[in-house]
Amino acid sequence: MSQATPRKSLFGWLDQRYGLAPLVEFAKHKEVPVGAHSMFWYYLGGTTLFFFALQIASGVLLLMYYQPGEATSYESIRYITTHVPFGWLVRSIHCWSAHLMIISLVVHMFSTLMLKAYRPPRELTWVSGFFLFSLALGFGFSGYLLPWNELSFFATAVGTDSMKAVPGVGDWMMQVLRGGPEVTINTLYRFFALHVVVLPLAAFSFIGLHLLFVQRQGMAKPMGHVAPTRGMRFFPNFALRDALIWLCCLIVVATVAVYLPYGPGIPGMDWELGKKANPLAPAYPGIKPEWYFLWIYQLLKEFPPHLLGLEGPQAAILVVAVLLGVWALVPWLDRQARRELPSPAFGDLGMAALLFIAYLTLKAWDIGGKGSPGVLPDPQLVSQACAGIAVGLAVVALIVRRLFYRQNRFFLFSGAATLIAVLNGWAGLTWLVAACTSALALLAALVLRWLWLRRTEAQGAVP
Amino acid sequence: MENRLALRTTRRSFLDLLLGAAALGWLGSLLYPVLRYLKPMAAAGPGGPVKLAQEELAKLEKERFVILRAGTSRILVLQDGTQQIRALSAKCTHEGCTVQFVPGESVIWCACHNGRFDLDGKVLAGPPPRPLPRYVVQRAKDGSVTVSPEKA
Amino acid sequence: MTHLLLATLLTAAAATAEGAPSPWPSAIAPWLDEKGPDGGMIIGEAQRAYFLQLPEHTRQLMGEVADSQLLASARHANVLLSLDLSPQALELALQDNCVVCHTDPGIGDPNTLFSLDPKATGTPAHLNLKEFISDVHFRKGLSCSGCHGGTPQDEMMTKAIGQRWPKKAERHQDRTWIPAFCARCHADQEFMRNFNPSLPTDQLAKYQHSRHGQLLLEEHDSKAAQCVSCHGVHGIRDAKSRLSRVHPQQIPETCGTCHANAEYMAGYKTETGEPMPTHQLAEFKQGVHGKALLEKGDLGAPACNTCHGNHAAAPPKVASVSQVCRTCHALNGQLFDGSKHKAAFEKHQWPECGQCHGKHAIAHPTDALIGNAPGTLCGDCHAKFATDDPKCAGTAVQFKATLDELAAADRSLSEQVERVAEKGLDVEPLTTSVSELEEALVQTRTRVHSFDQSTFDVQAAVGREAAKKGEAQLHTAREEFSSRRRGLLGSIASMGVLAVVLYLRIRQMEKKP
Repeated sequence: MSQATPRKSLFGWLDQRYGLAPLVEFAKHKEVPVGAHSMFWYYLGGTTLFFFALQIASGVLLLMYYQPGEATSYESIRYITTHVPFGWLVRSIHCWSAHLMIISLVVHMFSTLMLKAYRPPRELTWVSGFFLFSLALGFGFSGYLLPWNELSFFATAVGTDSMKAVPGVGDWMMQVLRGGPEVTINTLYRFFALHVVVLPLAAFSFIGLHLLFVQRQGMAKPMGHVAPTRGMRFFPNFALRDALIWLCCLIVVATVAVYLPYGPGIPGMDWELGKKANPLAPAYPGIKPEWYFLWIYQLLKEFPPHLLGLEGPQAAILVVAVLLGVWALVPWLDRQARRELPSPAFGDLGMAALLFIAYLTLKAWDIGGKGSPGVLPDPQLVSQACAGIAVGLAVVALIVRRLFYRQNRFFLFSGAATLIAVLNGWAGLTWLVAACTSALALLAALVLRWLWLRRTEAQGAVP
Repeated sequence: MENRLALRTTRRSFLDLLLGAAALGWLGSLLYPVLRYLKPMAAAGPGGPVKLAQEELAKLEKERFVILRAGTSRILVLQDGTQQIRALSAKCTHEGCTVQFVPGESVIWCACHNGRFDLDGKVLAGPPPRPLPRYVVQRAKDGSVTVSPEKA
Repeated sequence: MTHLLLATLLTAAAATAEGAPSPWPSAIAPWLDEKGPDGGMIIGEAQRAYFLQLPEHTRQLMGEVADSQLLASARHANVLLSLDLSPQALELALQDNCVVCHTDPGIGDPNTLFSLDPKATGTPAHLNLKEFISDVHFRKGLSCSGCHGGTPQDEMMTKAIGQRWPKKAERHQDRTWIPAFCARCHADQEFMRNFNPSLPTDQLAKYQHSRHGQLLLEEHDSKAAQCVSCHGVHGIRDAKSRLSRVHPQQIPETCGTCHANAEYMAGYKTETGEPMPTHQLAEFKQGVHGKALLEKGDLGAPACNTCHGNHAAAPPKVASVSQVCRTCHALNGQLFDGSKHKAAFEKHQWPECGQCHGKHAIAHPTDALIGNAPGTLCGDCHAKFATDDPKCAGTAVQFKATLDELAAADRSLSEQVERVAEKGLDVEPLTTSVSELEEALVQTRTRVHSFDQSTFDVQAAVGREAAKKGEAQLHTAREEFSSRRRGLLGSIASMGVLAVVLYLRIRQMEKKP
């Protein structure tokens, strides 16, 4: 309790009771490290938060008129978009901001990976961020069902079905999530509760933790900066810049909400209300989940019905779980970074993850295989075209790395990811065989590299 | 030096003023759609005369009064001792509770705070500050009863 | 005889050894081991399985027939078991000795042997055993003897068989006996009541007045169609069955067997003396009725007999055909009856509907038929027959102009709906207006048959209202979008100003003194 502030202001009154002065001092001295390239990336956490705040605001407004129910879910959203003044705007903003939030979140995640902001003492910031990523996907999945239209109904049916793959409790989990063996209006009621109460509570908690960690520990400096970095004061300089960027984001959201009210027209990023859900109608061809789930959806398609004693979907989900597990544990796996030593392998891992997911997502969009309507696209043509794009991306990444990140000469992970695309798209192998081959090649390369490093160490050369 | 400082200060305060004004303007452009969105829309529905349905007529016969909905208003239709049919607003003028007709005492009574009205709507006792508005009732030859929302 | 005894003993022994009686009758059991020339069992697996699932009395009956040696061999048994009949039908067949004998592959004369596949065995087409078993007469219990004479119990050919008909050589040359033969039963109300009380019994009477009947019975022309030509002999089915040759979807082909065959019809002339045309079937298949009946399977569409009649088939009179059209196209008929074309067409003795729409090759009518230009129906006819009355041409022109106007409005509105929907605007009222316009367009086109501007205009006015409403809704939608754009511009302006000022403030804050 500070008695030294004699000001007879509101602040003084509060300070006398709650000791606010140290907090103000802390805020005054909070700094953001300023570097040549990395400045831009520091804003991305803030933009994600901004889009999330936009979601809360537009979500609360939608809640005033939305009515979950067999005869009212679809109809109330139709009512909002056609009769309520500015209802079309609120709904459009809610849908756009959802996708923009996830894009911002993913870019933020990859940038922190590249900048190795996860190294000690910030491991838990990464882990809490990983939980936030999962929560964001959960928001997207649960919110998608609420309009109760054809697209959301089938997307949810397919998405929840994959839960059966979890061994043991999978079927029970699926039934609890669905509120029954099939997707019905009960599923919507549960998803509504999740989307509006459970997930927001969890998100607030994790955001709180995430921000608390960042506040307590300060922003991470880019690696290799031994000398004291120039810092920019958070209040008011960085904060005002944040505000400026958020304003620009708002301008972007407002513009796309008016000119593209149903999304950019990309499959998986399209929220035209369409027809009301009819559980008895067959799933229409070309049905796809949202774009951030497309890589899992494609992976499920690539696995055969049975594999090594497991069912196909089980094996696929296992693979996804392992990959995500590795991702979550990166702060502990990256031992070089823990010692503040350059760790090009993990930067390359980030590239590899991007290429891996990009190839699967492009395939899921049937790029390059467009048949006429009614004719399914040719999978071989699709693989070929997507492999071309993936290789193109890999080449671009290579050029960028040569120009800007010359020290990073580790290419084994991204090479393996590109190899999957090449083997599946151009050599005609199935994706599974291509992936196993690449994995084995990667393992062999890593082992050889480790042996070579040990030999050079033994010979006295510095690695 | 002092001049330059003074100049900087005035420029800064001018910019601050501008910033404040721009921020207010922006907030206004933000609040306008939100407030319009939140404002409840006019209740759709026929504003014309309401004819009593069969069940409502039956209730009127049996219990001597019935409460109808006309749009968002509540209307009390009662049959007094002289077989005349009257219609008044069912919304008590005190706090808006729905009133009822007590045939035995020929009064309209509000259970919430014990307000009492006579059959013309005038306040007899209790906290209601204003009389109940009356409505025009027409009884047709075939026995049907129509209430028009115009005040009598 | 000994081998039979032995077989019986063995079967009995086997049965007592197992404790269960063998399902195979003793006469048939030995055939189970017989092999054919290709080395395989004569009685195949499917046939054995079929036999074993028959009820006991059917199996017993088959055993009895085998005992009497009418069921003569393993091959014979195999033929009967290959029919896959219901037990009741099999019992019917087994109790009729005619069927039993004439399915025996051991019979010498292939021309009297029923076959499962006449094409493969080279037997006459009417001896298709599968067809015969489905035949309605057989199923109702009228066995072979009902038409051929004799009795079902006859074990050998008797004189009585074949006595009812003219001698073989004659009866194929001169077919005049056939209608009377079928009518023996089918014109007898008392008799037919035992089988199907609702079946008509006036076919012979009608036939006698028909063109076919006249040709056959009065002019003794055996090329003319009689009962067998359309209904067949052994595979006659109920007309409601899709496999029946006289099912509505089969009738065009059945009639076409003769009427589409130019060679067969050579020498015949129409009422007006021209050679009998044979392109009707091809035209019918091209027309809307043919497409509806044969391609879409719409049984409401007319087949040949709907307009021409069944047994009383005759070329329809000019007046009567349009009466048939009216049974479905009632409103058009009503409008026509009240129009000036009715008297005019009667004067010229033109078929009312057929004059404009054709008879067999009825094409889907389009707006292009209407108007005054050469090539349109109205124009071409009026130019020849209505030169004295300018109102005729005027009406045609006005009809065309109105229809063009409404159709254009429909097209333009429908195009715009898509664009409006993409912008996120509410298109439901607009799509309702477009539906109303399209409905009015249909009604307006129907009113052409009144050939009267005022009747036509009533519907056209409804269409114009709907179009106007649609245009207004379109306008409102565009206005709404403009207001959204303006709102956006305004808010971007205010946000932009704020952003600029903020930026300046930041710069100013960080400027070194």
